Amino acid sequence: MKKLLSLLSLLIIATMVLTACGAPAPTQAPATEPAATEPAATEPVATEAAATEPASSDKVQLRWFVGLGTGTDPAQLPAQQKAVDDFNAANPDIELTLEVVPFDSARDTLATQIAAGAGPDIVGPVGWGGSNAFFGQWLDLTPYIESSGFDTSIFDPALIEFYQTEEGQVGLPFLVFPAAIYYVPSMFDEAGLEYPPAAYGEKYTLDGQEVDWNWDTFTEVAKRLTVDVNGANATEAGFDPTQMVQVGYANQWQTHVNYQAAYRAGAADIVEGEEGNYTSAIPDSWKEANRWAYEGMWGEQPFMATGPLAGAPEFGNGNLFNSGKAAMALTPLWYTCCLDDFKNAGNEFQAGVMPVGDDGEIHGRVDADTIRIWKGTPHPEEAFKALSYLIGPEGIQTLVVGSEETPAAYSGLPANPEFQQSYIDGLLERYPFTTPETWEVFKAGLAYPDNPSAEQWQPNWNEAWARQQTFFDLLQNTPPDQLDFDAEWQKMVDDLNAIYAK
Amino acid sequence: MIEQLSNFRSSLQSLRAFRNLSPLGRRELKQGMLFLSPWLFGFLVFTLIPILATLFFTFINLKITDGIASTPKWVGFSNYVHLWNDNQAGVNPVTWFKGGTPGALWVTIAFGLIALPVGIFLPLGIAVLMNNKYLKAPMFFRSLFYMPYIVPFVAAVFLWGGMLNSQTGWINRFLIQILGMSRDSVPLWAESGAGEWPWIYATYVIMGIWGIGNAMLIMLAGLQNVPTELYDAAKVDGANSWQTFWKVTFPMISPVIFYNLTLSIVGLFQYFLVPLVVNQGTGRPGGFTMFYNLYLYRNFFLFQNMSYGATIAWVLFLIILAVTILLFWSAKYWVYYASESRS
Repeated sequence: MKKLLSLLSLLIIATMVLTACGAPAPTQAPATEPAATEPAATEPVATEAAATEPASSDKVQLRWFVGLGTGTDPAQLPAQQKAVDDFNAANPDIELTLEVVPFDSARDTLATQIAAGAGPDIVGPVGWGGSNAFFGQWLDLTPYIESSGFDTSIFDPALIEFYQTEEGQVGLPFLVFPAAIYYVPSMFDEAGLEYPPAAYGEKYTLDGQEVDWNWDTFTEVAKRLTVDVNGANATEAGFDPTQMVQVGYANQWQTHVNYQAAYRAGAADIVEGEEGNYTSAIPDSWKEANRWAYEGMWGEQPFMATGPLAGAPEFGNGNLFNSGKAAMALTPLWYTCCLDDFKNAGNEFQAGVMPVGDDGEIHGRVDADTIRIWKGTPHPEEAFKALSYLIGPEGIQTLVVGSEETPAAYSGLPANPEFQQSYIDGLLERYPFTTPETWEVFKAGLAYPDNPSAEQWQPNWNEAWARQQTFFDLLQNTPPDQLDFDAEWQKMVDDLNAIYAK
Repeated sequence: MIEQLSNFRSSLQSLRAFRNLSPLGRRELKQGMLFLSPWLFGFLVFTLIPILATLFFTFINLKITDGIASTPKWVGFSNYVHLWNDNQAGVNPVTWFKGGTPGALWVTIAFGLIALPVGIFLPLGIAVLMNNKYLKAPMFFRSLFYMPYIVPFVAAVFLWGGMLNSQTGWINRFLIQILGMSRDSVPLWAESGAGEWPWIYATYVIMGIWGIGNAMLIMLAGLQNVPTELYDAAKVDGANSWQTFWKVTFPMISPVIFYNLTLSIVGLFQYFLVPLVVNQGTGRPGGFTMFYNLYLYRNFFLFQNMSYGATIAWVLFLIILAVTILLFWSAKYWVYYASESRS
C-alpha cells in the first residue's frame, strides 16, 4: 500500500510540476532587462534581418491582453494579429504576443493573473469602467512619454487631461466616443417639430419662437414625440401612458445614475476624503437629474420608456432606438455599432447637439477606449514602445482604418485628428442617409468631455458602481406609488458610504 | 446514506485486508488504482484542493483586484463575524429586516415556502393523473408535460419574461382586453414593488413550473412501482380513493418524494438564474429578489471579494448540510422503505 501511495504521490507531483512548467514564465526584475534604446523606425525589419534576428528566447517577451472591452470577436482578430506581427517585424528584440480572453471572463482572468503577479504587459482596448475595476494597477506613462519624445500635442489637451489621475498619466487617448442626440427626422416631421440644432450655440425653433436648446426645451420636444396607441402625444388630453407606441427619448444603454447625471447636470467629483475616510460627495444636481429621468418614465406626461417597456420584445429588448420606437436617443458614438435592425427597416437617423444645462454650460460625455500598461510589467520601456506603436499612426492604420485584405478591428473615432476623417467616411458609407453635419456634431462633442468621467474611480469601484446601477434599475421599474425617491436616494448614498469604508 | 456508510466501512475493512491479499490480488489492485489515478488527480486538483483553498480564503482578506497593491492578511474569523452581522446576507435572523431590506437568507426561505410545495405536489398531482387508468393517450400527455423540461431554462425564462411583461405581455393583455380587468388591478408580476413581493415569487414559481417534467416522470415511475395487490387489498378492505392514496400510494412513493424534496431544497438554496435574468440580479425591488446564492455570486464575481464570497459559500454549504441532515433525520417518521420493513 505504501508503495502504491508513493507511486500515486509521484504521479501527482510530476503532473503538477509539468503543469507549472506550462504557466507563464516568472517575471524578471526591470533593472536586469535590456532597455530598448533605439526608436522603432531605425530597427531593421524582420524579413530583411532574419539571419541576425535574436533567437526567440533572447527577445523581450510582451503580452497584450485583449478582452476587457472590444477586440474579442473573431472578425477582429486578424487586424489585431497583423498589428502584432507588424510590430514584431519592426522590433526584432521584442516579441509581442496577443492574448484574447472572452469578455465575460476577462475581468476574472486579468484579476487572477495580477493577483498571481503574472499580469500582462499591455491591456486594452479598455474603457473607463474596465480600467477603474483595476484602479491602481496602471503604469504612470509620464517618464516614458518624456524619454521617448512621444508627441502628445497632436491630441486635444482635454483628452490628455482625461487620463490624468493622482497616480499620473495612466493612459493616452486612442479611440473616443463623444455623445450626441440621435434622432429620427421622420418622427419630427410627423409631429411638426423642427430638428434638434446641428451646431453648438444654435437656437431651436418651437411653435415659431426661437428658444434655447436646453433641457426644458428638450423635455417639451420629447413629450410631443411620445405617442400612444390612439395617436395622442404626451402633452394632449386623453393620452394613455399605459399604451405608448413611441417614446420621445431613450437614454440608450445609459441607464445608470452617473450617466444620467453627467448628461443632465454635468461632471462632478463624487467622492471626497482620503484613504480610509472616503465619503460620497454626489451633488444635489445629480439627484435632480435622476429625478427628471424618473419623471420622464413615470410622470403624468411621460417621454421615456419604463424598464418593463424598454425590456419588452416589441421595444427591442433594451435596444430601444434600434427598434424604431424612440424619436431621440442620447448615447455615445459607439452606438453606431448596433443600428442594423433600424437601418434594415428603412429608418433613418441624424444627430443633434447636446442641450445646454441648467447652469448655462454644455455637459457632454466622452467614452474612451485606450490601451494601458500594467504597472507590474517587468519591461515598462518595451511595453511603452508597443503601446505607442498600437495607438500611433501605424496601429491606427491597421486597427481602426483597416484595409481590404485585413478589415479594421475597432470602430471608434481616433483621438488622433489625422485619422478622424477616414473613420467618418466609413460611417457615411455604412449609413448613407446620414449627412456629413451629423458626424461633425459628434466631433464637436469632443470639446465637452465629462471630466471627471461618469465612470470615475470610487473606492470599491465594482460594488459602488453596482449599487448606483441598482438605484437606477429601481427607478426604471418602480411606479411612484411604490417608491419614495428621496428615501431611496438617501439609502443609496448611505450604502455608498458604507461601501467606500470597506 | 446508510448504504454508503456501509460501503465505506467495508472498504476500510478491505484496506486492512490488503496485506492479506495474494500477490496477484495486490498487483490487480495496484493496476486498478493506477487506472483510477487520472480521476484521482483531477479530483484533487480541480475539486478538493480548490475547495480547501476557498476554506483558507475565508480566513484571509483576499480581494483579487488588489493584486500586487496589497498582500492578503490573516484575519481569523472576521469574515464570518462580518457575515453574521451583514443585514443583506441575513444569516443572523435578527438582521433580516434591519434597515427595511430583507436578508438574502430570508428571501430564499420565504420563496421556498411558496415554491417547495408547488415543486413537490404539482408534479405528484400530475403524475397521479398520468397514472390514471382512464386517461386516454397517456404517452401523449406524458410527452407533453415533459417537453418544456427539454427547453433550455434560460430560454424559458426569457420567454416567460416576455409573456409576463406587465405592459406588453399577452397575459396582462388577456386579463385587460378579454376579461375586462382594469389596468390598475392587473398584477405587475416580476415588476411588482416591494409591497407586492408575493407576486414576484408567484411569477418565479410560474416560470419554474416549466421545469417540473423531470420530477413528474420520477414520481410517475414511483407510482407505477406500487404493487397492484396493495390496491386490491385496500379495495377489499373498503378504502375509498382518498384513503387509498394516503394509506397506500403515499407511503409507497414516499422515498421518491423524499428524493425530490431533498433535491428541491438543495436547488432552492442554489436558486440564482431566474432572479438574475428577470430582475437583472439587482435585488429589485428593495432586496426582495436578492437570493442567497445571488448575493454570493455578486460578492465573488461582481465585486471580486474572494474572501467574503468564499465565506458566504462555506456558510451556504453548512446551511445545506444542516437542512439535509435534518431532512434525513425526519425521514424515519414519514419515509417508508418496503425493503427495510421489519417484522
